[in-house]
Amino acid sequence: MNGVLAVYQKELRLYFRSPIAYFVMAIFLVGTGYFFTYSIFLTGNARMTETFHNMAILLLLVLPVVSMRLFTSEYNGRTMELLATLPLRPWQIVLGKFAGSVTILLLMTAGTLIDVVPLYLFGNPEGMTILSGYIGFILLGMTCLAIGQLFSALTQNQIVAALITVAVLLAFWFIANAQRFQTSYAWRNLLGYLSFSRHFEEFVQGLVRTESVIFYLVVCAIVLVLNTSYLHWQR
Amino acid sequence: MITLESVSKRYGSRTVIHDLSFSVEKGEIVGFLGPNGSGKTTTLRMIAGYTTATAGRVSVAGYDMASQNESAAPHIGYLPEHPPLYDTLDVTAYLRFVAKAKGVARAEMAGELDRVVAACRLEDVARREIYKLSKGYRQRVGLAQALLGKPQVLLLDEPTIGLDPGQLHEARDIIRSFGAEHAVLFSTHILSEVTMICKRVAIINHGRLLAIDSPSGLQRALEQTNRVSLQVSLPPHGVSGGRPADELRQELLSVDGVRTVEAEADGDRLQVECQIEPRDGVEAAIARAVAPRWPLHSLGRQEPTLENIFLQYVSEG
Repeated sequence: MNGVLAVYQKELRLYFRSPIAYFVMAIFLVGTGYFFTYSIFLTGNARMTETFHNMAILLLLVLPVVSMRLFTSEYNGRTMELLATLPLRPWQIVLGKFAGSVTILLLMTAGTLIDVVPLYLFGNPEGMTILSGYIGFILLGMTCLAIGQLFSALTQNQIVAALITVAVLLAFWFIANAQRFQTSYAWRNLLGYLSFSRHFEEFVQGLVRTESVIFYLVVCAIVLVLNTSYLHWQR
Repeated sequence: MITLESVSKRYGSRTVIHDLSFSVEKGEIVGFLGPNGSGKTTTLRMIAGYTTATAGRVSVAGYDMASQNESAAPHIGYLPEHPPLYDTLDVTAYLRFVAKAKGVARAEMAGELDRVVAACRLEDVARREIYKLSKGYRQRVGLAQALLGKPQVLLLDEPTIGLDPGQLHEARDIIRSFGAEHAVLFSTHILSEVTMICKRVAIINHGRLLAIDSPSGLQRALEQTNRVSLQVSLPPHGVSGGRPADELRQELLSVDGVRTVEAEADGDRLQVECQIEPRDGVEAAIARAVAPRWPLHSLGRQEPTLENIFLQYVSEG
């Protein structure tokens, strides 16, 4: 675990030594603050449902900026040669980097908790629904980061990595819309099951289903394993 | 400590390393000499475990790099051609990351960092961000990271490139000081460096090993084709019959130990180059043979410099 910890600490240091982490967090928090205020004043309900929907879309656009540098910066800074020859196993590198970016996600998420304060001050919100929304939000974010990290390893260019990630994430977000073009029951089922938004919707409604939790965790695991295999293959 | 047995590396249909075999023992500094693009970096990368050999066997500290590179990694300190630095970290944070990744225990961390900082003379910049450092310091930080964890094998890819003369001197001192405890393989295309630092030199070109020996051994080998050059005036009484150059050539070829002679007229003088056998006394014999008839202006044996050796091997290879 020492190897994972070494990579993790290095990643966190690098995030906070560059303006990216601050910039991304600022954009995200301003964005969520705006969506929260807007929906609260529009509906007058002490709920986070609308805000969670908007936060998720914002997340799909913002997290690729967090993940894009994870490997591309190692290639461009020629530090990959160091990482690959240190006594680190590929899975330690992948996991350390992933943990670093997930920490940024958690900090971003923690920043949005400030929105919950006025709900409790001026209303009577359903605490468990909000909690389940946050669980879904973090699981969705972790999956986005894992996918972004894989594309960051596959290309040398940060912008390309970010754009491909955004495209893939949006595709999985809207994939359920393709159901209406399918007549086969199996295909409709599969498209619905692969939809990031369908699973997220359940969390937002206050439903923490094992199936959805497993879905996100399995997608994360598959993508991280692919990332590790790619590092092995690079040798 | 480092052993390469018939190692080849292919990228697609292009073979960049052909059947390379050599070894480096502990306590030895071996210079890896070759022009740009000769395969030095690829070879070092294979030894470091960054890339694998297509054929043959690379082993470091007894571990096969194809299958046991993770076990070998703690024994290897590697400085790639471009020092792999994280510009926004400060020197200490960077070194701490590498030390941790190399498994240096928490209790020994401070001592280990102090050791490499002192060895590479980085005390003045230990707290400075890496992007603010000069090229010489960046190179030394790269060297310091290679030393962390006391590896048995040091692989340095052109560690002195781009340094000013002062930094060069310091960097060489540092590398020389590692020689006793480590097996050091370092690549360079600066010839004088090799004679100053290395016990042995491996010359490589187009991915083939052309020679491996001590600098003086290579010199001796090349003395097999030692050359003597002399300058004489035309004889005051003229020559009998043919051209003076031919006459002198005949005379020199009859001297014991002279192999070939090239003579060229240069005004009223003759410029002569002889290839002689590598033993003492041949120059004296030449002088004795020539002097009675041809006023001798100069006669000297050309000691082969490492540069000549290198060029000769590379042009032959």
